[in-house]
Amino acid sequence: MKSQSNGKDFCMFALPGLFCFVAVMMVPFFYGVYLTLTDWNGVSRVKNFVGLSNFGAVVKDIQFWSSLLLTFKYVIFVVVIVNAMAFGIAYLLTRGIKGQNFFRAGFFTPNLIGGIVLGYIWQFVFSRVFVSIGSSTGWSLFEASWLSDPSKAFAALVMVSVWQLSGYMILIYVAGFMGLSEDVMEAASIDGASGWVKMRHIIMPLMMSSVTICLFLTLSRAFMVYDVNLSLTAGAPYGTTEMAAMHVYEKAFTSRQFGAGQAEALVLFLITACISGIQVYLTKKKEVEA
Amino acid sequence: MKRKMASCISLGLSLALVSAGLTGCRFGFASDPDDPNEQVTEEPIDTSVDSFQYDGSLQGTKITLLNSKAEIQVALEKMGAEYEKKSGVHIDVMPVTDDSPYTRVVSLYNSGNPPTMSILDTTDVIALAEEKAADLSQEPWIAEAEGYLTKVNGKVYSLPLCIEGRGIIYNKAVIEETLGEPFDPQSITTLKEFQDFLGKLVDAGMERPLSLAKEDWSLGAHHLQYIYETYDGTSEGAREAIEQIKAGTLDMASYNRVNEFLDAFDVLKQNNVSLKDPLGADYDEMAIDLADGKTAFWFNGNWAWPNLAEAGAENEDEYGFLPYFLNNDPDDFVNQQIQGSPSKQVMLDGQMATDKEQAAAREFLNWMVYSEIGQQMLVKTCNLIPPFKNNPYEPADPLSRDIYEKVHEGKAFNASAIVPNDHWSVLGAAMQKYLAGRSDRQELIESIQKYWDEQE
Repeated sequence: MKSQSNGKDFCMFALPGLFCFVAVMMVPFFYGVYLTLTDWNGVSRVKNFVGLSNFGAVVKDIQFWSSLLLTFKYVIFVVVIVNAMAFGIAYLLTRGIKGQNFFRAGFFTPNLIGGIVLGYIWQFVFSRVFVSIGSSTGWSLFEASWLSDPSKAFAALVMVSVWQLSGYMILIYVAGFMGLSEDVMEAASIDGASGWVKMRHIIMPLMMSSVTICLFLTLSRAFMVYDVNLSLTAGAPYGTTEMAAMHVYEKAFTSRQFGAGQAEALVLFLITACISGIQVYLTKKKEVEA
Repeated sequence: MKRKMASCISLGLSLALVSAGLTGCRFGFASDPDDPNEQVTEEPIDTSVDSFQYDGSLQGTKITLLNSKAEIQVALEKMGAEYEKKSGVHIDVMPVTDDSPYTRVVSLYNSGNPPTMSILDTTDVIALAEEKAADLSQEPWIAEAEGYLTKVNGKVYSLPLCIEGRGIIYNKAVIEETLGEPFDPQSITTLKEFQDFLGKLVDAGMERPLSLAKEDWSLGAHHLQYIYETYDGTSEGAREAIEQIKAGTLDMASYNRVNEFLDAFDVLKQNNVSLKDPLGADYDEMAIDLADGKTAFWFNGNWAWPNLAEAGAENEDEYGFLPYFLNNDPDDFVNQQIQGSPSKQVMLDGQMATDKEQAAAREFLNWMVYSEIGQQMLVKTCNLIPPFKNNPYEPADPLSRDIYEKVHEGKAFNASAIVPNDHWSVLGAAMQKYLAGRSDRQELIESIQKYWDEQE
C-alpha cells in the first residue's frame, strides 16, 4: 500500500521535473557528446563518424589553451576577491549597524542587472567616463581607455565581475552569519575567545557550509563567463581577453568548426566539473555542526 | 565605536559602487540614438501605376523573410504590406536580433522551421546554397543583375539585394571651410597627393583630419580585404589571389598590394584623430566628429549614413568617397575607383518550402525588380542602391548617391573577396595590434600568411 502511494507521489511531483531535466539538460548533453565524434557542420544532412579527430583539433588549437590559461587566471582573481569581499561585507552587515538592510539591498542590486547590460554600461564607463575624467584631471591612469590595453582590460573584466557577483555572495554569507548560534558565540566569549581567535576557531568552521556554496557558485560562474566578456571587451584588444567559453563559441559559430567547438566545450565542462567537484569535496569535509 | 566604523566602511563601499554605476548619466551621448522626437522624412511612393502581372492562384499564401539588415526592418515590413495589398500574399518579416544571421538561419533549419527567404551575406549563401537553397538561375531578373550575381558551381542561388561601397568619406563643406578654397575630390589622384592634402589640413589648423574605426570587422574585412580585391579589381581576381596565397605561390612579403596597402594604412594611422589611443576610438563619436568638422575624413562605407544623419548630417550636404589610394601611380585603377559590390543576398529555401510558397517568394523577388512600386520602395523606402539595370530611381542620401553615380560612371570596381567566415575576427585582431603599434609589418604579414596556411 505504502509503496504504491510512493510511486504515485513520485509520478505526480518528480516526474514532470525529471522529464524537463532530461529533455533540456541530459538529451542535449549526450547529443553534444555524440556530435564531438562527427564531422557535422551544423547544416549538412549527413553526419560522418570521425572518431576522436575533433579532440585532436582541440589539442592543436593553441588559442584555446591560451584562453583557458587566461580563464584560470580570471577565476583565481574573481573567486578570491569576490569571496573575501563578500565575506567581509556580510560580516559588517550582520553586526546591527544602522541601515544594514538598505546596504544589503544596495550591494545585491548589480546582480539583478543582466551581464550583457552590465557589460555595456561598464564599457561606457571605462572608455568614455574614465577617459573624460583622465583628460580633465590629467591622471595618467585614466588617460587612455582601459579596454585598449590588454592587462587593464583584464583588470576591468575582473572588476566588473566582482561588482556583479559580490552582491549574491553577500546575501548567502549574510544568511550564514544570521544562522550562527548566539549560544555558541556567547560561550566562546565567556571562554575568553575574542577577535581573530573567535573568527578562526568558532565562526569560520560554522560558516563552512556557506563557503562551500559560495565557492562553488563563483567557481562555476567564473569558468563559464561569457556575457560580460562579450559585452565588455568582446575579446579586445586584439583577442587578448578572450575567455574559454567565448573561444568555444567563436570556434563553433564564427570559424564554423562545430565539431572542434563542441569538443572544446566538453573539455571546458570536464575541467570545470572536476575543479568544482574537488572544491565541494574539500570544503564539505571542513563543515561542522554547531 | 566598532559599530560606527563598520557603518562608515559599508557606507563608503556602497557609495563607491553606486557612484561608479551612476556616473554614466553625467556624461551623456552627444546625440541620442533613439530620440523619439526625431522626424524621419520619407520619400512618398507613387502607387498609381502598376503593370506587374500577379499570379492570382497564390492569394492567401503565407511566406516568411528573415532579415539580417536591421536598418531596413521597418521598410521591409512596409514593402511586404504593399505587396500583400496587390498580390494577396502575406510576408512575415523576421529580424535577426541577437545571433549572427548564419547562426540564426542554421538554427531555424535545424528546428525544421526555416524562413522561405533569408537575407544573408554572400559567404553565408555560398555555405548554404547547394544544401538548402532553391536554384534561381532561370529567374527573369538574372538579366537585370548581370555582373552582380554570385554563382556556386555555375548556378545562381541568391538575388543580390543591394550594392554597398566603401572608401574614404569626405565632408566637403568642412574641408572648404578649413582651407578657405574650393575642394575638388578628383584633384587627388595618388597616395602622395592625399598625404600632402592631409598635411595641408593639419597646417590649416585641423590637428588630425581622419577617423579610423578600431572595430575588427572594419580592420579585418574592410581595410585588409583590399589586398585581395585590388589584385585586379574583380571578384575572380580576388579569388585567384586567395588561391595563390593558400597554395603558397603568391608570397605575402613580396606581393606588392600588401606593401602598398600597409603604406596607405600607415598614412591613415598617422592622421588618426585617436592617434594617442587608437583602440579606444568610439564609433559613434567618429560620425559626430565628421559631421561637426573636427575631422574631414572617415574610412567607412555607405552604411555609415544613418550614423552621420543622427550626428546632424543632412541629405543636401556634400559627402562623398575618395578611393583607398594605394600607391603613387595615377593610372592604377585603385587610385581612381572606389570599391562597390553586392553585399546582402536573398536566398530562397528549396528544402522545406512548398511549391506554392516558393512560387510566392519568386514572385515577390520579381515584383521587387520589375514592378513600379517595388522598384521605388527598394530605393526610396529601404534606401538601398539596387544592382538592377532596369531600376530608374536614385538613392537620396549623399553617400549612396555617390556610389550610385560612381558605379554608373565606371568609377567603382566590383570586387568582393570571399574569405572564410572568421577572417575578419582573426585578422581583425592582428590588424588591431598593428594599429595600436604593438606589432610591426613583418609580424602582421606573418599572421596573415599563418592564417591562410591553416585553411584547408
